[in-house]
Amino acid sequence: MKKGIGLALAMIVTATVAATAQANPTAASSASAGTSCKKTLKIGFVTPLTGGAGFLGQEQMSWAQYAVKTLAHSYGLHVVIVPGDTPVEQGAAPAQALAQKFVGDPSVVAILGPSTSGAVAASTQTYFAAGMAHLSPSATRTDLTKTVSGVKEGTPAFFRDVPGDYIQGPSDANFMIHNLHVKKVVIMDFQEPYSLGLADSVQATLNKAGVSTIRLSAPNTTTDYSAYVTKVPSDADVVFFPTQKPADAQTFGEQLIEQGKKAKMFGGDGSNDPTQFKLPGSYVSNFAPDITGIAADASIVSGWKKANPGKSVGSFGPPSYGAAQILMNAIQLACKADHGVLKSRRDVLRKVKQVVIKNWILGGTFRWSTKSNDPLNAKFYIFQIQQDGSYKLVG
Amino acid sequence: MATFTQLTIDALTLGSVYALIALGYTLVYGVLKLLNFAHGDVFMVGTFIGYGVLQLLGGPSNPSVPIWLLITLITLAAMAGCAVLGVVIERFAYRPLRDAPRIAPLISALGVSFFLANSMQLLFSATPRNYNTFALGNGELYFKGFDIGQVRVPLLRIITIGAAILLMIVLWVLVNKTRTGKAMRATSYDREAAAMMGIDIDRVIMFTFLLGSGLAGAAGVMFALRVPTTVAIGFVAGLKGFTAAVIGGIGSIPGAMAGGIILGCAESYTQGYVSTKWSDLVVFSILVAFMIFRPQGLLGRADIRKV
Repeated sequence: MKKGIGLALAMIVTATVAATAQANPTAASSASAGTSCKKTLKIGFVTPLTGGAGFLGQEQMSWAQYAVKTLAHSYGLHVVIVPGDTPVEQGAAPAQALAQKFVGDPSVVAILGPSTSGAVAASTQTYFAAGMAHLSPSATRTDLTKTVSGVKEGTPAFFRDVPGDYIQGPSDANFMIHNLHVKKVVIMDFQEPYSLGLADSVQATLNKAGVSTIRLSAPNTTTDYSAYVTKVPSDADVVFFPTQKPADAQTFGEQLIEQGKKAKMFGGDGSNDPTQFKLPGSYVSNFAPDITGIAADASIVSGWKKANPGKSVGSFGPPSYGAAQILMNAIQLACKADHGVLKSRRDVLRKVKQVVIKNWILGGTFRWSTKSNDPLNAKFYIFQIQQDGSYKLVG
Repeated sequence: MATFTQLTIDALTLGSVYALIALGYTLVYGVLKLLNFAHGDVFMVGTFIGYGVLQLLGGPSNPSVPIWLLITLITLAAMAGCAVLGVVIERFAYRPLRDAPRIAPLISALGVSFFLANSMQLLFSATPRNYNTFALGNGELYFKGFDIGQVRVPLLRIITIGAAILLMIVLWVLVNKTRTGKAMRATSYDREAAAMMGIDIDRVIMFTFLLGSGLAGAAGVMFALRVPTTVAIGFVAGLKGFTAAVIGGIGSIPGAMAGGIILGCAESYTQGYVSTKWSDLVVFSILVAFMIFRPQGLLGRADIRKV
């Protein structure tokens, strides 16, 4: 009797697993066939809402939701953002699981994100197979949109509205060379895609210019950097620290001072957070300017602040607003082409590259590059941290 | 030489924190033969209690009390808070399972660990909390200290190492020179016999958790004085503390202290002299090596079984 029940259970489980394995992502794509554009459409948002980079995801989420709240109506759409959490400490697994979840939900027509380069690399093939556009407001790793050493991690379904590390790396390195006149630079990486790519890019540019570089590598779960700081030579000019956890940049900088080292900290866009990384004299690069200085954004900024009392405008939020706007624009174009009935997610995907946005939140007009799924003429900005902890644009 | 000195200071600082965490593991194991996997998260809660009290006392930029008193108060608060937490955990998650198969309280411990981590995340979110000791007294804790050759030993490191040594001494005196300590040792040798001799086992176990968790709270503050804390740090810290306890000899108090220092040294010297990528590999390889070749650890007792 017991054996029989056990056998039956085993067969049910096996059948379930087999059915799941048989499930074709493209089947879900066509499952969204015939979705009325008047219905509520979902945009999945894959971002680290918790963990050391949770600040980034929370900020991006608030701006994406604000964009949907204020812009969806103007596009004739009802859109909701469905969040998915990818803590950076957990590696690729959450991104892969979320990709399966969103692809299997026919009401999800596009993806905002993933926010981190590692999550993109882990999930882009799944989204591509399902014909689902995924647009990241912050994943900057070069090989997501360009071929590097014969490898391109991203797929044609991946887009980003911020420039890649092929711009950030040389931009940061050239600032160090021409503005800081560095002779010796220590470069950290954290054994994950974002920092590895950016560190490689910076190191290559510095080495080409004859700057001596020392490479250190720490696991992404490191909290105490004392031993790494010990390895920073006393004559090093800069420590390039492309972390996704700004608090770690602050800690490293303080430990540099504790050990009497003179090197200045230089963080990538992942460390851009004035509330956590505020060591005076340090440098930070980012893909977005301070939009509070853009006159055309005044109403957006004030509206966002009203909707988010007590919060301050950071650098990660505006690109997320822009990304949501691009996706809604693409959905609208697809709906128009399909006469009010969204036939397939692939229709949204095909329209993304046709989007042009005037009065872009980051300034000017947004257009796509013709050579890649990156924005045209995007640049990185370099800030120096002042005594009061504020970020001043210096490059 | 300067590098070796600096790495040694790093090792002692890190090792002191690991030793305090390991002591909690070893105390509980010694008395209950239970690996309290929630211990790392009690440590994490301690960091947050310390942060909260620090803010209540004016924060690092404008403390309402002298720095030495500030650090003492936040440490004591974290110890007290964690001690209470440890007692509550024992009462509701472990005591009902005391006579159950040994795997039951182990699973319960894992459940408590996840419960604590997720509860803290819901309450306090994932944002790191920084004690910002750099701002205390205009960096006094970093700039004051003494020099060994070219290497500065800042006040903050002295406090961390000193506090750990003081707590270990107090624990040693408590366990070896007091009646309660005698009762704890008796319970660890033979719980049933101790009960028959009139020792209140429930109180002894409760006190053990109180003590071990209090030490985790102190470790939390010592840790967070130097690096930011998040709700996610408990797992790795607990793992390292457990490793230290095993290396030193699970159930042995001097072993836990030694294990913590050895672990700190292994991590620090590997990062400094071998490669920064290899430190975790080396640390856990040492753990495996001990399990294979000396499972009782450095100072633990080998199990004697009647055949």
